[in-house]
Amino acid sequence: MSGLPILDISGLCKSYGAVRAVDGVDLHVGRGEICGLIGPNGSGKSTFFDCVTGLARPSAGAVKLDGQDITGWSLNDIAREGRMLRSFQKTVVFSTLDIEENLVIAGQMFTFPGILSTFGIGAAARNRVAALRERARELIQIAGLWDVRFQPAGKLSGGQQKLIQFASMMMPEPKLILLDEPMAGINPKLIERVVDSIRLANTSFGVSFLIIEHNIDVVTSLCKRVVVLDQGRKLAEGTPGEIVQNQAVREAYLGG
Amino acid sequence: MTTAESSAATGRDLRIPFGLALMALACLAPLFLGNYPLHAIIIALIFLLPAHGLNLLLGYTGLLSLAQAAFFGIGAYVSALLAVHFGTPFYLNFLAAGLVTGAVALPLGIPALRLRSTSFVMCTLGFVIIGQAIAKNWISLTRGDMGLAAIPKPYFALGPASFTVSGTVGFYYLVLVIAILATFAVYLIVRSPAGRNMVAIRENETLAESVGIPTWHYKLAVFMISAALAGLGGSLYAHYLTVVSPLTFQMYYSTTMLIIVLGGGAGTISGVIFGSLLFVGLTEALRVAPELRMIAYGFFLLGLVFWFPNGFAPLIGRFSSFLEKRK
Repeated sequence: MSGLPILDISGLCKSYGAVRAVDGVDLHVGRGEICGLIGPNGSGKSTFFDCVTGLARPSAGAVKLDGQDITGWSLNDIAREGRMLRSFQKTVVFSTLDIEENLVIAGQMFTFPGILSTFGIGAAARNRVAALRERARELIQIAGLWDVRFQPAGKLSGGQQKLIQFASMMMPEPKLILLDEPMAGINPKLIERVVDSIRLANTSFGVSFLIIEHNIDVVTSLCKRVVVLDQGRKLAEGTPGEIVQNQAVREAYLGG
Repeated sequence: MTTAESSAATGRDLRIPFGLALMALACLAPLFLGNYPLHAIIIALIFLLPAHGLNLLLGYTGLLSLAQAAFFGIGAYVSALLAVHFGTPFYLNFLAAGLVTGAVALPLGIPALRLRSTSFVMCTLGFVIIGQAIAKNWISLTRGDMGLAAIPKPYFALGPASFTVSGTVGFYYLVLVIAILATFAVYLIVRSPAGRNMVAIRENETLAESVGIPTWHYKLAVFMISAALAGLGGSLYAHYLTVVSPLTFQMYYSTTMLIIVLGGGAGTISGVIFGSLLFVGLTEALRVAPELRMIAYGFFLLGLVFWFPNGFAPLIGRFSSFLEKRK
């Protein structure tokens, strides 16, 4: 956790007309850290994610990834760098394709140097895709999805789709992953598997995480530091233990 | 679509011999077919090019466009103007038609592709209407409603040798070779990593963005490729009929191409080949009963929508896996 933070956000704002969905939030994620982001519904967590990852353009503020200013970059510009990837609250997969194809697609833009080269049909392109397939199979095995790998991803359960999404994000060996409610709507058995995957990616591959999550047990077990948002502002920051005790946080959640 | 893809994967061994048999059959067709059926097949093969283009756009990238008739018309006019005014050989006109339509698609695609779903469809429909209006009213260039007549039959000049493809059989072979080459080119695009990215855009554009796919560039590139294919088809059409008129820009052609792709099976190459042969063949075959023609065609389409909502491609897939099991 030494040195420059992997993600450094300062004064981030996003307004929709008169509504300030995100209002001057400072947040950083250290190298190798798993940081939690919680807050009541409508507190601006997802908008905050969208602004950081380029799905929405921030109205003000700066986003620095690994020391580089990436404010205002588009989603695919940021993703194509392969350093910071994100998941979506509503789980999405390429539903008519099988798991392996899903993962190969997730890795393609990081192994091909340009758009034109993706139209390639020569040995170079074939070798790149073969290497991607190999990595995809490894990740499918780690994720425990080997038995269902030929099924269309859309036919699998919500929890399995979360695992596919997670494995997809591991394809380009990212430094930071932003997860938007990874445990929402999946059964308790799979929650454990997703938690294990996050922990494994963190310890074995050195991936840092910023996680939006409502399941407080998951947050407590994964994160050493939690940031609380309320009405677009940072309300509190601290260890899970401190946050649970915090009076202001309790009032925000109770609607006080 | 899924069933077609999976059965295509299991039936891989069958596809090559089946394709070769079909090609052999196509080469021998003039021996046992009269001029009229051959003419129908020529039209079907000409329509196959824009249909392939639409399939790349709709079946693989998930963009519904009605602009194919506009690019078909532009290709036809480019070829016709070159041939009539400059007497250039066929292959130059043909290539120019593809290049010009592909290039025209760039400035049209940049604003159009910014629009979402229905607005994009309406915009592409507009291109056809504008194209027809230009062909009608730029009289000094296009001769308006009179159209351009006496377009020479395909004429090749390679060094000292030169020859003209005349007659139905000659033209049939020319179109057949071009159709096979175009099909192969589309096959290579679809099988390349870019083809996989196109499918990703069709499945979920935001997710595609989030894994780094520059969706905007791909959509623009596919729009241009599909336009170029339509332009090549238009060029063949002009040289085959030897006449072009503003009627070449017909909405009817756009819908025909849509029916070919959706009816044959969007997102499959074999489905589109089958679709163009079937639908063009059908309209020709129904000419025997001119009063009932459009009504019968309409009922056929209704039946298709009810019983084969994914087009005929799943049927082809089922047939080949049936053969597979019997072996």
